[in-house]
Amino acid sequence: MRRALAILVTGLAQGLAITFGLFLIFGAIPGDVVDVWASAGDLDAAQQAALRAELGLDQPAWRRFLAWVGAALAGDLGTSQRFGQPVGPMLWEAAEASLQLGALSGGLGLLLAFGLCTAQAAGSRMARLAVEAINLWSIALPTFCVGVAALLLFSVWLGWLPAIGGLLAPVIILGIDNAGQLAKPLSEEVAEVAALPHVMAARARGLSPLWLARWHILPLAAPVAVSLSGLMLAGLLGGTLTMELLFGLPGMGALVLNGIQGRDQPVVLAGLVAAALAIVLVNALTALVLAALDPRHTSRD
Amino acid sequence: MMRGLALAMLALALLGPWLAPFDPLDQDLLALNRAPGGVHLLGTDHLGRDVLSRLLAGAGTTLAVAALASLLALLLGGGAGLLLAGLGRGAEGLGFAVIDTLRGLPPLLLALIALAAMGPGLSPLVLALALSFAPLFAHVARTARRREQAEEYVAAAIVSGAGPWRVLFRHIMPNLAGPLVTLTAIILPRCVVTESVLSFLGLGAAPDAPTWGRMAADAARLAEAAPHALLVPVAAIALVTGACAALGGAARRYVDPRRAL
Amino acid sequence: MAQDGPRRGVLRYATLGLDTADPHRHTGSIAVQQAYVEALTSIGPDGGVEPFLAERFAVSEDGLTATFHLRPGVVFHDGSAMDAAAVRANIERVRDRIRGGWLAGAMRLITAIEAPDAATLVLRLSEPYAPLLTSLSELWIVSPRSPGWEGTITRPAGTGPFLFGQWQPNLRLLAPANPRYWRPGQPQLEAVQFDLRGDVDKGLALRAGDLHIAEVPQDVATQLRADPRFVVQGLRDTTWYFLAFNNRRPRPPFDNPLVRRALGHALDKPGFMRFVAGEAGVVTNQMVAPGNLYFDEALHAADPYRAPDLDQARALLREAGVDPGRTAIEMVSWQEPYAQAAVQMVRRLGFRVTHTPLDDIGAQRRLGQYDWDICCMASGPRADVFLRWVRLMSDGPNPVLWGGIQDPELDGMIRAAAAEPALEPRRAKYAQAWARVAEKHYFLVLGHAANQIAWRREVRGFTTGFTWSPHRADGGIAATSLE
Repeated sequence: MRRALAILVTGLAQGLAITFGLFLIFGAIPGDVVDVWASAGDLDAAQQAALRAELGLDQPAWRRFLAWVGAALAGDLGTSQRFGQPVGPMLWEAAEASLQLGALSGGLGLLLAFGLCTAQAAGSRMARLAVEAINLWSIALPTFCVGVAALLLFSVWLGWLPAIGGLLAPVIILGIDNAGQLAKPLSEEVAEVAALPHVMAARARGLSPLWLARWHILPLAAPVAVSLSGLMLAGLLGGTLTMELLFGLPGMGALVLNGIQGRDQPVVLAGLVAAALAIVLVNALTALVLAALDPRHTSRD
Repeated sequence: MMRGLALAMLALALLGPWLAPFDPLDQDLLALNRAPGGVHLLGTDHLGRDVLSRLLAGAGTTLAVAALASLLALLLGGGAGLLLAGLGRGAEGLGFAVIDTLRGLPPLLLALIALAAMGPGLSPLVLALALSFAPLFAHVARTARRREQAEEYVAAAIVSGAGPWRVLFRHIMPNLAGPLVTLTAIILPRCVVTESVLSFLGLGAAPDAPTWGRMAADAARLAEAAPHALLVPVAAIALVTGACAALGGAARRYVDPRRAL
Repeated sequence: MAQDGPRRGVLRYATLGLDTADPHRHTGSIAVQQAYVEALTSIGPDGGVEPFLAERFAVSEDGLTATFHLRPGVVFHDGSAMDAAAVRANIERVRDRIRGGWLAGAMRLITAIEAPDAATLVLRLSEPYAPLLTSLSELWIVSPRSPGWEGTITRPAGTGPFLFGQWQPNLRLLAPANPRYWRPGQPQLEAVQFDLRGDVDKGLALRAGDLHIAEVPQDVATQLRADPRFVVQGLRDTTWYFLAFNNRRPRPPFDNPLVRRALGHALDKPGFMRFVAGEAGVVTNQMVAPGNLYFDEALHAADPYRAPDLDQARALLREAGVDPGRTAIEMVSWQEPYAQAAVQMVRRLGFRVTHTPLDDIGAQRRLGQYDWDICCMASGPRADVFLRWVRLMSDGPNPVLWGGIQDPELDGMIRAAAAEPALEPRRAKYAQAWARVAEKHYFLVLGHAANQIAWRREVRGFTTGFTWSPHRADGGIAATSLE
């Protein structure tokens, strides 16, 4: 219990530090939302100055940050500088879409990786090859290339899938990518366990390979799997960005990218902080699960 | 075989620009998106530039950017991780809170923001990529140092009067080489791919620059008209990745024969 | 209003985005809000002014009085009547509260707004202003009872054929049909769903069947023209491409007219326009394209740069004493492929080109530093030609794309043209101003190409307009139906 509390407090402190760091970084990006509007060519210098004053952009950075934090802690995420609409609903819808994509593709990745490793533990040589193959696939091929190919093949030429908003193609592409990241380390762990004396003895006694995999091998490999899954889930946000852009999914990646391009500070801050907090949460959960699974493995990180 | 491939890549990177049959920047506006064959062995891209020439000329830049970024990440991240692991719990915790902040953000978003703040160009690109991957090196360095410090030979050195710096440089660091080299072999191709994604998002190398990532990104938008312009750089990236993976495994086995995994 | 048959279908439309729910605050190209707000006038397919919410209008001979007779029986989406008082409130809001956008110039000249009765509005100006009627085509008439009228409107109640339904910024706007629209029989659609995303490949989505109407790039347009399932039409006004010099702080040798002329001769305008727009590209030397009211055929025929002449270019450089091989030239542009084609042309002349492609904001900031030599840019359709001229004025909005011209004589010529109420004398005055631009070699026009809109055959009754507007007096989504 105390440990859980400690993890939570560390997480919150990290969250605050993250927020301030992001605020500074965003401030370093040249240009603001008035520049974005002015680039269309309709605003002269006086009008731009008036707009900046209206939005409070002429205030010093620290004052704007404190105002933002104060409001955010009270639950008000502010108004989009670019669109004049409240940030909360925008963030919520984007989070929903990203969570959907992330959960489905994460789940698919886990299933694939575990499936292949189980098959491998049961003695299948094909499974081992498949693990190598998807590992190479996930490192070598940028997901946007696969995405473009899938779009062309399935949406335009075959017409089977919608081009905008379809979840099937991105989930499969990301799922395979995730499985590729998980499968190799997991399979190495599984191979190590399979070589343990008591496992080999059980094998020699004639126990079914599948039964062995289920009850002997996988449980020992579980901690590694959990850490890797944590890493993978945390990395999901960046991975979904290109998929969101290609397949027109209104997720967090697209929200933040558009926010950066539009110099929409409240949106970018809210999006990045939410993402970072989510990752901190995932890391904390992973640590808790690991600690629960095997007290020996309590993370020294 | 992989070693031979890796050597071939290195040769390509160094000699590429001289082997190119055409000027990689030269546009032939009347020969857009030509299929491979004839004068242009691998065809032309959407601006009529020879794909083969761009591939050869780009090899050097692509690998240089990735190598520099990986090296910088290694030095910055590994250095930070090593040093912080030697300081007290408090300083280490604080330092790693910052590093975990950076690690928490997806490398892509981090590079995006860094590039948006620094502007276009190859140096900001290298810096942004290095910053994105440095946290990983910091963690590996810290874990490895922690593990080594618990080993007996370190205790022995300290007992025999060796100062902390001497312990660090003569005893611990050589044993860190293994994990760090392995990680570098993983990060290098990821730099190439991340550069490619950044170019796709409009923030990577300059549109003119013939890096493989840029070529893939530009061609992806016009994949239908010129599939060869997309397949060629992607195949090159895949080959580099395979070579790096194999090299990484070989290097790991060479540097650290104790740990087969 | 009577309706022939039930409304059917949701049209999926994707061209540009929507920046704000407050119609008066929207800057730049507008392609969505015309679905729910309208104006007194509308721009016709040839650039002329047509009646819209004002069913008749007249400008006095001296150009100082404009009288508008409002269409009777028009109601806003919130039920209140569209009358002279409401129109006056809108004009006053733009003049006093918004103070932004290109309407500011027109607003400054209005001395009095009178509403002698509920259906008549009179504007009195301090001096004649030729672009008045076209300006008013973008002065949106919104109900003063719309929430946010005092600050930023959040739910605009206009008079348009569709209502402001649900808006998810950067994502979509759902606009259901207005059952009380003033044109009988319209709209025929149940709703329009605007796709507001900037980075999806609209051509791909159109071909996959996810969109009905979409803006497509030129190469996709060429492809779709040959496909019997699609119809492709360009906007009536064009996007024009140009190469501008640094006119605010020119750096030698690019302040030398001989060098500027040499660069002009080095341009391969036909090659460039063919690259940009294939068959739809037009090579010319003016800010307007053939077919436009202000186009000068004789001037077009006399273009000295219509075909590349590298020999002449090199001769001019020799005369100027400039060795291109030892001269660096700094070029700025957006991250578009056509900029690279321009780089190639300059490089062919022998100059050492440093090309810096930047995004919108980056380019603007860099151009504003005036530490560059040339830029290759483009500018899109506008409701009135004056809006192209105003960017060339000393205090014009965002003049950096044209090198920040500050020429008081040119300013005077442009103002004189804008103040000329009659068409022919105005054309002559604009021609004079253009002669000045050409004489000073401020920038070189490469050519024009219209943005292309493509739609599926099942979309009936849709036509493109002069600008990006999806709904005008001459047609658009109000007259569209889905098969």
